[in-house]
Amino acid sequence: MLKTVVIAAAPGATKCWRAAMDWRGIPARLVDCKRLPKWRSKCFKYGGMLDPIAGQLERYMDLLSARQKLVASNIANADTPGYHTEDIDFQSEFQNAAGLAPRTIEVTGLAMKNDGNNVSLDRESRLLSENALRFQLASSLLRSEIQSVREAIKEGQSS
Amino acid sequence: MSLFSVLSIGASGMAAQRARAELLVENLANAETTRTPEGGPYRRKDVVFESTPVASPFASVFDTQIQAAGGVAVADVVTDNSDPERRYQPGHPDADADGYVAFPRVNPAEDMVDLMGAARSYEANVAAIGAVKDMIQRSIDLLH
Repeated sequence: MLKTVVIAAAPGATKCWRAAMDWRGIPARLVDCKRLPKWRSKCFKYGGMLDPIAGQLERYMDLLSARQKLVASNIANADTPGYHTEDIDFQSEFQNAAGLAPRTIEVTGLAMKNDGNNVSLDRESRLLSENALRFQLASSLLRSEIQSVREAIKEGQSS
Repeated sequence: MSLFSVLSIGASGMAAQRARAELLVENLANAETTRTPEGGPYRRKDVVFESTPVASPFASVFDTQIQAAGGVAVADVVTDNSDPERRYQPGHPDADADGYVAFPRVNPAEDMVDLMGAARSYEANVAAIGAVKDMIQRSIDLLH
C-alpha cells in the first residue's frame, strides 16, 4: 500500500516534496500538491509534523528579510539626492495573517538634508544589526523544531 | 524576494561609493594641474547618484514583491564650470600676458571631508552585506 508523506512545501507552492514509502521503494520526489490525497499546499504551515509555530517563524523570517532588503537599499542610497527612507510596518504586517507581500511605507520624523535625502545611517545600522539578531533567534528556534523531528526519524531508523 | 538580491543592492552601493572616491582622489591629485588635454586648468569633477532597481538573479522567475527597493548607480559625472582661480606667478610657463596663472578651483579640505564620507558609506554597505550574508548562512544551517 502506498503511503504519502509530505515533508515540506513553501506557502502557495504548487509542488511538494513527497516521500513515498512503500515496498517498491520509490524515492522522494517533487509531486503536484493538488494530486495528494490529504495534505495540500501550505503543508509546512499547518502540517502535522511541525508545530504551527514553525509557520509563524517562517513568516517572521520572511518579513525580516524583506525589511533587511529595505535597510540595505536605504544604506546604498544614503547619498542619493531626493531619496526618502523606506520601511515596513513590522507589527501590522506580522499580524496580517494573510501572508501577503508587505507594503512599504515612508518613514516620517527623520531630519531632511539639504539635497532632499532623509537617510539616517545611525537608524539604518541599528535596524541592520537588530534584524540580523532577530533572524538569528528565529532560525535557532526553527532549527530546534526541525531537530526534534529529525531525532524522531533517526530513532525510527536505527531500531 | 530573496536575500540574495540584497547582496546586489549592497554591491551597487559599494561600486557607487568607490566611483565617488576615485573622482575625489582625482580632484585632490590634480589640485595644482594647469595643463589638461582639453586645454586650460583641471576642472573639479563630482558624481550624481540615482536609485535604480537592481537586477537580481532569477528576477524573471520569481516575481520581486518589493518593487520600490533598489540599489544605487552613478547617474552622471558633473564638471565644475566655474572660473579658475587666478594667481600672480609671472615666472610660470603657463602665465598669461599679465603674469596670472589659471589654477583649478579645488578645495582640498572639502574633498578630504567628502572622501571620508565616501569611505564611511562604503563601510556601511560592507556591514549590510555582512549582516545579510550571516542571515543566508543561518538559513542554510537549518539543513544541517
